Amino acid sequence: MRNRLWSVYLSLLNMQYGVSVLRHRYLKERRRLWELLLLTVTLIPFGVIMFRFFWSMAEMLFVGGLGLGQPHVALVYGAVMASLITLFFGFLSVLSAFYFSTDLELLVTLPLSSTEILLVKFAVVLTGKYAINLLILLPFWLRYGILAKAGVGYVISAVLVFLLLPVIPLLIASVIMVLLMRVVNLSRHRDKLTLIGGLLVVGLSIGFQVWLSTNVGEGDPQQMLELLLSQTEGLVRAVGRVFPTAIWAARAMAQAHTLQGWLNFGLLAGASLLGLGALMFIGKRVFLASILQGFEASKGSAGKRRAKGTVKSRPVLGTLSLLEVRLFLRDPNYALNGLVGYVMFPILFAVSLFTQEFTGSPLELLATLELPSMFIFGVIVLYVTAMVAMSMIPSTTFSREGKYLWFVRSLPLKLEEVILSRALAAAGVNLVGCLVGVLPMAYLARWQWGSVLLGVLLGALLSLVWAVSLILWDLRRPMLDWVNPIRAVKSNLNAVVGLAASMVLVGALGVISFRLSQGSSAWLVPVLLGLVGLALAAVNYYVLQRFGRKQWRQIEGGM
Amino acid sequence: MLKLERVAKKYKGAGRYAVHYLDLDIPRGEIFGFLGPNGAGKTTTIKMIVGLLEPDQGKIQVNGFDVTEDPVGAKRSCGFVPDNPELYPRLTGIEYLNLMGDVYQVPGDLRKKRIDYYLNMFELTGAVGDLIQSYSRGMRQKLALTGALLHNPPLFILDEPMVGLDPKSSHLFKEVMREHVREGNTVFFSTHVLEVAEKFCDRVGIIHNGKLIACGTLEELREQSQQEDSSLEKIFLQLTEEGERP
Ligand SMILES: Nc1ncnc2c1ncn2[C@@H]1O[C@H](COP(=O)(O)OP(=O)(O)OP(=O)(O)O)[C@@H](O)[C@H]1O
Ligand SMILES: [Mg+2]
Repeated sequence: MRNRLWSVYLSLLNMQYGVSVLRHRYLKERRRLWELLLLTVTLIPFGVIMFRFFWSMAEMLFVGGLGLGQPHVALVYGAVMASLITLFFGFLSVLSAFYFSTDLELLVTLPLSSTEILLVKFAVVLTGKYAINLLILLPFWLRYGILAKAGVGYVISAVLVFLLLPVIPLLIASVIMVLLMRVVNLSRHRDKLTLIGGLLVVGLSIGFQVWLSTNVGEGDPQQMLELLLSQTEGLVRAVGRVFPTAIWAARAMAQAHTLQGWLNFGLLAGASLLGLGALMFIGKRVFLASILQGFEASKGSAGKRRAKGTVKSRPVLGTLSLLEVRLFLRDPNYALNGLVGYVMFPILFAVSLFTQEFTGSPLELLATLELPSMFIFGVIVLYVTAMVAMSMIPSTTFSREGKYLWFVRSLPLKLEEVILSRALAAAGVNLVGCLVGVLPMAYLARWQWGSVLLGVLLGALLSLVWAVSLILWDLRRPMLDWVNPIRAVKSNLNAVVGLAASMVLVGALGVISFRLSQGSSAWLVPVLLGLVGLALAAVNYYVLQRFGRKQWRQIEGGM
Repeated sequence: MLKLERVAKKYKGAGRYAVHYLDLDIPRGEIFGFLGPNGAGKTTTIKMIVGLLEPDQGKIQVNGFDVTEDPVGAKRSCGFVPDNPELYPRLTGIEYLNLMGDVYQVPGDLRKKRIDYYLNMFELTGAVGDLIQSYSRGMRQKLALTGALLHNPPLFILDEPMVGLDPKSSHLFKEVMREHVREGNTVFFSTHVLEVAEKFCDRVGIIHNGKLIACGTLEELREQSQQEDSSLEKIFLQLTEEGERP
């Protein structure tokens, strides 16, 4: 007999990543194998780029550190990087796995204690983090090991450290989330608070990274390296205060052949165990209670103001757009994932400005940059267009409906109305989100308001057209059989392909627009972007007529 | 009002037809009960009528509109409540009703009148401002019924509407059906409750393994099964048993 926790863990893992569904689809039915092929083909170059990036980063840090007599700086840096990424994405994964997963209803009926549920859930999330860390650390540690001519001790220690490294950051995320949800779940405004709390936590963890990078340096690798080397001790101390585990991990690996190294490993293991104990201690008290409270669906705050319910007529297109906006924003799973970008990118951009070499304030720097107006215009148009894909609203619009899709399909609506209303909703939310970044930027950098306004206008139009394309792409094969809503956005191939396509489109347009904006024929920039918009609209129209309508009639899932 | 001609459907990847050359003709003003054992093809038929599934073969007409050629016209003539109405949990009841009213273009004052009428009757008035995720199954069912009735649909089509309703609601529901038919509309519903079908329907059809094995008034069914004075239950069991034999 298998251990029961192990067995629960395996089935949760299966549900989380849809292992059985995928196996059935690809191995038994052997349908859509080309999809798998396509994904592999697109992922390989991405993987190669990532691998080479971390490979050369390790090399650079090693060589630089060697000059200082401290080659293990590279290991510290790798561990810090992995820890920060785990922490950052940990908040979102913990929130969705611990509180918004539909398997919770089943889980609490099983004879498992609060601590055991928490433990199993934690293990499932941790497993996902190992996959991400492997991508980062494998090339990094491989290169380091080769350069340092490390022995067997290094390999053994690397494997052990790999297993322990994401534990502490994920524990931090879990403890914060468990406590936060305990508070949030007591409130009537659960969804809103979850959203606000989530954004706050994400904001804080970005802020933390900002703090770290302004103390340590970020951006240009060359410059970062110089900084690192000139104040290595400073870095080690700065990081050590926040993530002592990263230092222990690095030392354990660098000195794997000495007692010193294994002592450091012991510290890492001890801290992880202690942290786990703390999570279990807190979880025992509050976890189950807060899940159970989560089941008591909030009756909603919209009702309080108009409990009687006001009858209000709207035009069809308006009412459908409003529906899409409501469905997206009211589900913290979706809203958090979709809205984080609008906060994150402006902050990251601001940070990269702050770390520029410039005597004087960054604001002065911004203001002194005399950017051509067509350059500003192009940047805004393309930012707005790229962000509509980043929000994932259009590329998952039908997938997110899941078992509710029957509803819209049974209504007397033309497919054009359905698609246009959804595109309007996506472009609308996107525009508001983008203005959060664009307006302060335009003000601080003293951009010409004319080009800003024009950019926002054309950006709105181009993003609307592009949203229609993404919606049509999702219609082609919506992913409807999810149990955990987060899967409809996060493990949705449609969203991934949509993002990749957007990067290619925006990247290509960006390069061409940049070239044009520098020369004497800068007026070609709006012409180019406008023509691309028209061409896309024509393609959309053709696809809708040729394939869309048929597909809309033939969907068999979603009931 | 509702006409099916040689309608057939096989699910993708399935070995056999879920619905096998079905013919039905239901005139205006009739309450029609659609019976059959589990997996007989009732839900599949209903989904094809309301445009959620595309028939492989055959023609379906609702209120004179061909379901494949003019889906919007056909859907506008329908009010549909599925067997387990999955309504968006994060909308409030009133938001859902307003959405239905907007889509079916029910003018404001008429909409208000009808909403008030049904909510009062189903005792939902107090809950209409709450999110649907806090509703019980029966409350969801009643909200779906209200939404589907807002535009006074010429064809009201329901999949197992009695499931989940308490005795009082199910009585009210039957009253609503009768009234709906009295106004010149048509009702088509599937059910497993044979007493309801027996007492309440003008005609019933029995489907088995995707084929219509009997259709008509209770009298006609008795004749067909050569069982005088027997209940619908006996007839149903006999007919579906016969269907089992090769
Ligand atoms: N989504 C689907 N994919 C494949 N086959 C299906 C699907 N839905 C139903 N079927 C099959 O079609 C046949 C008819 O199913 P249907 O749901 O129409 O039956 P039903 O008469 O509504 O049964 P019940 O009384 O249980 O509701 C069954 O054999 C069923 O297995
Ligand atoms: Mg059924």
